[in-house]
Amino acid sequence: MHILEVEAFSFQYPEASAPALKQVDMTVEEGSFVVLCGKSGCGKSTLLRQCKSVLAPHGKRSGAIRYCGVPLDEVSHRTQSAEIGYVLQNPDNQIVTDKVWHELAFGLESLGCDTPTIRLRVAEMASYFGIQDWFMRNVSELSGGQKQLLNLASVMAMHPRLLILDEPTSQLDPIAASDFLETVRKINRDIGTTILLTEHRLEDVIPWADSLLVMDSGRMIATGTPSEIGQCLHDMGHDMFLSMPTPMQIYAGVTAQEQKAHALTCPLTVSEGRRWMQELLDAEAVQTEPHPSDVADAKERNGKPQNPSAGGTSPEEILAACGEREKGVSAAAEMPEPAGKRNPKDARGGDIPAIRVRDVWFRYDRDLPDVVRGLSMDVRRGEIFAIVGGNGTGKSTTMNLIAHIRFPYRGRIWLNGRDINKYSDDELYHGFLGVMPQNPQSLFVKKTVREDLYEMIDGKRQKKTSAYPIDMPKKEAVEGIASLTMLEDLLDRHPYDLSGGEQQRLALAKVLLLRPQILLMDEPTKGIDNYFKRDLGQILRRLTAHGVTVLMISHDVEFCAQYADRVGLFFQGNLVTSNTTRAFFAGNSFYTTAANRMARHFYPDAVTAEDVITAMNRTLAQSRGS
Amino acid sequence: MTTEKAGQSAPAGSVGAEHSTGPEGSPYMEGRPGAGRSFCAKRSMGTEGSPYTDHSPGAERGAKKQKKRRADAFSSCHPAVNFVYFLVVLLTTVLMTHPVLLGISFAGALCYAGRLRGWRPVLKFNILYSIPAMILVALINPLFNHYGVTFLFYLKTGPVTVEAIVYGVVLSSMLFISILWFSCCNVVMTTDKFVYLFGRVIPALSLVLSMVFRFVPRFHAQAKIIRNGQKAVGRDAGSGNLIQRIRHSITILSVLITWALENAIDTSDSMQSRGYGLHGRTAFSIFRFDVRDGMACGVLGASMAVFLLGASQGVTTAVYNPYISIGGWPLTPAGVLCFAAWAVICFFPSVLGAVEDARFASLARKARLERHLPWYLQDPVQHGKESSAPTAG
Repeated sequence: MHILEVEAFSFQYPEASAPALKQVDMTVEEGSFVVLCGKSGCGKSTLLRQCKSVLAPHGKRSGAIRYCGVPLDEVSHRTQSAEIGYVLQNPDNQIVTDKVWHELAFGLESLGCDTPTIRLRVAEMASYFGIQDWFMRNVSELSGGQKQLLNLASVMAMHPRLLILDEPTSQLDPIAASDFLETVRKINRDIGTTILLTEHRLEDVIPWADSLLVMDSGRMIATGTPSEIGQCLHDMGHDMFLSMPTPMQIYAGVTAQEQKAHALTCPLTVSEGRRWMQELLDAEAVQTEPHPSDVADAKERNGKPQNPSAGGTSPEEILAACGEREKGVSAAAEMPEPAGKRNPKDARGGDIPAIRVRDVWFRYDRDLPDVVRGLSMDVRRGEIFAIVGGNGTGKSTTMNLIAHIRFPYRGRIWLNGRDINKYSDDELYHGFLGVMPQNPQSLFVKKTVREDLYEMIDGKRQKKTSAYPIDMPKKEAVEGIASLTMLEDLLDRHPYDLSGGEQQRLALAKVLLLRPQILLMDEPTKGIDNYFKRDLGQILRRLTAHGVTVLMISHDVEFCAQYADRVGLFFQGNLVTSNTTRAFFAGNSFYTTAANRMARHFYPDAVTAEDVITAMNRTLAQSRGS
Repeated sequence: MTTEKAGQSAPAGSVGAEHSTGPEGSPYMEGRPGAGRSFCAKRSMGTEGSPYTDHSPGAERGAKKQKKRRADAFSSCHPAVNFVYFLVVLLTTVLMTHPVLLGISFAGALCYAGRLRGWRPVLKFNILYSIPAMILVALINPLFNHYGVTFLFYLKTGPVTVEAIVYGVVLSSMLFISILWFSCCNVVMTTDKFVYLFGRVIPALSLVLSMVFRFVPRFHAQAKIIRNGQKAVGRDAGSGNLIQRIRHSITILSVLITWALENAIDTSDSMQSRGYGLHGRTAFSIFRFDVRDGMACGVLGASMAVFLLGASQGVTTAVYNPYISIGGWPLTPAGVLCFAAWAVICFFPSVLGAVEDARFASLARKARLERHLPWYLQDPVQHGKESSAPTAG
């Protein structure tokens, strides 16, 4: 039975020039696990919101949406509330009340259940989701993962038949995210609730999906099982592949004839991927031992990650894409450059690290345990240094110490060889240190992106201020930065109307307008999809080419592997190890990329999907040649 | 703080210590939410291991605050019982000027505050503030009030009388006793109890209150985040000249308000999608009125009735003008009965707690006795079960 049917549905926002959804068809089987994917801004959320009347935005619509065979408009608010559960993106915003138990009961209160019923259902849900330990707590004491789990539980307390989740894990760290998705899967398996999910962390959900729907610019371009979709996108040569799990990307990247020849199905998980590699290489009758030259070549090619072309799918493609922008960027390039010019110490040689931290200790309160314990680290000038590590190991705190927002009680920090305490706030934050907060919204002040950018440099009037001490016309500066961060088309939008990735770029643009030499970024890839990650990575590369030092904290191992120069692992308030990206990830078995986990038996040095693809293609070509 | 409190009440503290060292977890500790330190420590360790643990300082502080709260029998009664109790005690204390009743009230409040907040801070408060203030008022009152018949000496302002001094002492002690009761009330009447009680009267209010309690700390936390974000782009509200500071503060405020409004849309979506606005909304609460609450009400109600009866006999009135006359003093049977009833009311929470402590102590003793028995003296059936398990396996 179809629990949800969408038939030739189109939707256009009022005052929008083009429809957001065009002739979308979608059917969801009762009890299935359906994943909807697509780039951000392709209309996924718009479609999902249409599936619940109270959330559907106003606008022109045509076509039909049926819930259990009944047109959705005829399904009462009460039925929809109880039977169609909806979990939104931001864990914090969805929580209404102050106590966990009250939040769990909220929906049931709305439905008018009596106290014994609510008591039973709440108890049931709390036990099922493992909430009983924090049942009596205040909501504000919970972590992000707990909050999102609470949101899920409070929807599940109403016993919905269909559960719609709109990027539920985008604000969570990877461990909390995969726990959350695991729970969603458990609900589908144990209770039989139908799941309709959009997610950018596809590697976690695709193996479980009964069907996968792919959308692109308001259209449904492919539907089917995950491996069918893999094949289909592969044949279409669609760039949706970028957001597919690494095994699927590698599958797509390896020369097409090989696949057809062996008719191997598309691998979805790391273990399937490994088996697939094994079979493919065996079938080609090559030794599983890689040719020493292959690895060396792969190393050489990717050994210099500063090269901006190392990042994308194929270097030519990206260069072509960049070429278009390059014209605009030439003006923008002037912007970060003064950073290098104004720094006379550069001449003294590169041995002064941009950031030097020595034996730093920090705790939030005298009676609380140490958060940062004897941390020492160096970040070289002009490199991208990434800190990875679990939650609560003191990464963000370290960032705050370097940003001079918190102060260590022991130890010292030097920036460009000068003690951080000797900088005045003005010297530090104007033209020297740029800090990207985890929540980009905390920087947005004005009504449009353009005004917001001008606001950063104290308005449109050409006047030298502490935030803008240079002669360059402000218009040029803003335009340059806008083109560098690819915001040109968004200048008249409201900052809050931008998507997560766009907000991130706007925040970056604002920070860059202050011409920092050192850029600190806290979770720059939080809540953004793989396309924006690629854009962001390229922006960072371009900045380092102009001598900007980037220190970032990230949970995103794949992003770090692709764009960082060096990576450090944070644990228990200290940097356990730091190494060049390749050496770091090649040496780890858990804290490493999916590509490395999949291919380590064949190509131990291959870290990114591209490495594996290049190495495999080479091996296959050689075996064919011989 | 915690050590003092745990050590302060011997039975509870020893129970905790005993069982944390024991080979198996105490079966009695589980049933007692947030009881001893060992229980709390165990619980917090449990959550530490979970992947959802938040290590932010706020959460840690919150956990610490939770740890501090000791188990209290009266606090676990129904909120209505708590609320009416404090209302009655506070009102009576404020309206009475009877020294015996005030004395009883003081002793009761002191005992309960000591149990709830630890003796040291309570005594410290009393010695540092109450007694000096009491002396001060006792000295000041006679300067302006000259009623009474027992003249001590004359000042420029007029005669100083014993009655005025005594009345000053009574007045100030009344104030401090009320403060003491308020401090207890503060610990016992948590926000969720207030939300629940007022929700009973006006259902919509309970949701509004609950949302406010959710929103205020969130707003506060976000303000901090925004302030840090703005500081890092050189717009700290605490530096620069006055105009800059004001401008930066306004910026922060405007960011905060935009943020609040934008995110409120999500909240309203979440409410609507969970059926808010449907007809016939109910109000759920986790509190239930059980037999013990009924009994507590009975005891307190009966005592109050006796007390009021005594009051109607004039036992509870005290007059300081023109001469001191105290109802029921020297002790009359009616007076004794009335004072006893008042004492029952005032000491009720402390006694309830003490009884519970004693019960736990005796349970712990029982458990300990059984555990220390040699195997051949233990209950044969139970022992047989234990020993047969491994052989069967």
